[in-house]
Amino acid sequence: MNNKLYIAFIYAMVLMTSLNSCKKDPDNNNNNNNNSATFGSVKVEFEHLWAMSGAEFKLNDTLLHPMKNEKMFFTTFKYYVSNIKFKKSDGTWWSQPESYFLVDVSNPTSLILTVNNVPTATYTEMKYTLGVDSLRNVSGAQTGALSTTNNMFWSWNSGYIMIKAEGKSPNSSTGDFALHLGGFKGANNVVTEKSTNFGGATLNVNPSATPQIHMSANPAKLWHTIEGVTTKSKIMMPGADAKQAATDFYNSFNFEHLHP
Amino acid sequence: MYRYVSMKGIVLLFLSLVIFSCNKDETTIPSDNTFKFETPSYIPKPIYEFTNNPLTQNGFELGKLLFYDPILSSDSSISCASCHFQSHAFADQNLAFSKGVNNLIGKRNSPALFNLSWNSSFMWDGGINHIETMPLAPITNHLEMNENMMHVIEKLNRNKTYREKFKTTFKIDSINDQKLFYALAQFIGNLQSFSSKYDKVRQVKTLYSSEENNGYMLFKKHCQQCHTEPLFSNFEFANNGIDSIYADKGRYLITLDPNDEGKFKIPSLRNIALTFPYMHDGRFSTLEKVIEHYSENILQVPNLDTRLRKKIQLNAKEKQELQAFLNTLTDFEFIQNKIYNKP
Repeated sequence: MNNKLYIAFIYAMVLMTSLNSCKKDPDNNNNNNNNSATFGSVKVEFEHLWAMSGAEFKLNDTLLHPMKNEKMFFTTFKYYVSNIKFKKSDGTWWSQPESYFLVDVSNPTSLILTVNNVPTATYTEMKYTLGVDSLRNVSGAQTGALSTTNNMFWSWNSGYIMIKAEGKSPNSSTGDFALHLGGFKGANNVVTEKSTNFGGATLNVNPSATPQIHMSANPAKLWHTIEGVTTKSKIMMPGADAKQAATDFYNSFNFEHLHP
Repeated sequence: MYRYVSMKGIVLLFLSLVIFSCNKDETTIPSDNTFKFETPSYIPKPIYEFTNNPLTQNGFELGKLLFYDPILSSDSSISCASCHFQSHAFADQNLAFSKGVNNLIGKRNSPALFNLSWNSSFMWDGGINHIETMPLAPITNHLEMNENMMHVIEKLNRNKTYREKFKTTFKIDSINDQKLFYALAQFIGNLQSFSSKYDKVRQVKTLYSSEENNGYMLFKKHCQQCHTEPLFSNFEFANNGIDSIYADKGRYLITLDPNDEGKFKIPSLRNIALTFPYMHDGRFSTLEKVIEHYSENILQVPNLDTRLRKKIQLNAKEKQELQAFLNTLTDFEFIQNKIYNKP
């Protein structure tokens, strides 16, 4: 075969392929086949209440732990929420893609998670994961909430620090405390899926309204079972203590109310 | 081996068409067919296959630039290459422990870096589960590069050369840590060493001497269960009876399982003649001493690997033969390969 002709043929084939490949991808949503589909946003707000007082949990403020009778002055409090899903009234689920949020009490905007591109529908239940699913703990470099620049990834023992609580305490022999809680394997797995049915209310999502789900959590519960900072001021890796403290904190998550 | 695929002309045609037809700044070479490393047929599939991090020449070159650049350390004094020398198969220059920022001394022997894409875990204790996040440890360890990731990214974003190179390679305007780790993985994940005499014998390009061949037989009898061919490690963790009291508990520090006390990752024996001193703490200065340990000095501790419970006992001639075989694992082409040189 004539070489030049051959090259020209390949050129033509390649041209056709590359022209085709320039078409824009359709929008990333689950309803490509339905052009009339509309979408809305949902906000999920987390408020943090200290112990039974119901008082707002604040950083850089001396708090008394009523069960342990210890003073705690938090400088850092952050944790991961991931994999938000909503159940439609027809029983099917919609899952947010790439659903990872770092709730950081020092950053007020991080306390309200915005879930975009939720298909217009009536929803009766929400599922959310406290922590980061095991897959993302073993999948190498990530971005956004999962970036290592958030200092929430253990460098020497791969995995996410799913809850980080740090501060000072006169009751600690070192004057400080630090709980770095995580673990995604076996008995040490702290990752927990939770759900709420909004107390029987319904979540109506459409383009003209952004309903807001209010959740609450109680950081004092970290020490519900484990020893206080007087005897154990540092937990820095996955293990039984991390599992217990994370589980107790995760158990404190409550649905409060829903704004339509 | 490293090659730019011979269909260069067609690739260029393709490239020009992509630029022409999409009218975008597609300046990178497509990743699928222009850049790849070939491995001998007897080498298994790697664990890391650049699935989320498509390999490009630009990415490899950028990773190399970063590997040799002290910008990754807090005071710009230490680069990856400060403790990983190509001349030593990317181990340190025969030091038991390496120096980091502020002249601080590390706690374990710097491992050699080659064939890392076949590793299922990293570091002597296997605490790190992915090649991409592996550099996070030396970058942030205060005894090594003593940096924090936010600051590294800020420094890189202030640097015009890096901004341009990351843009060309990954099509991003602002450098982030994921792309930094991707670039580093494209370099360190391609430090391939499969050109030793052992490989040439396997490829029937040469033959062992009779001494080397006897050594190979001894190796197969006594060593290959852990230092399994062709990568010369099974990548497990083992207690090899060097201590009865553990100054460094090794794998235990990751698992907290008492059975893992004194276990360390089984290193590859490829390039072993270049990477002295040996063991996690560099206690043995020569291969003779290592062989002597396995032959005569193994401590029968509770966690001792079951494969080492039976005495190996080599005579003087056998020790020499074994060492002669181990020397065939040195890959001179690898340590001289210009594509890995400092840019």
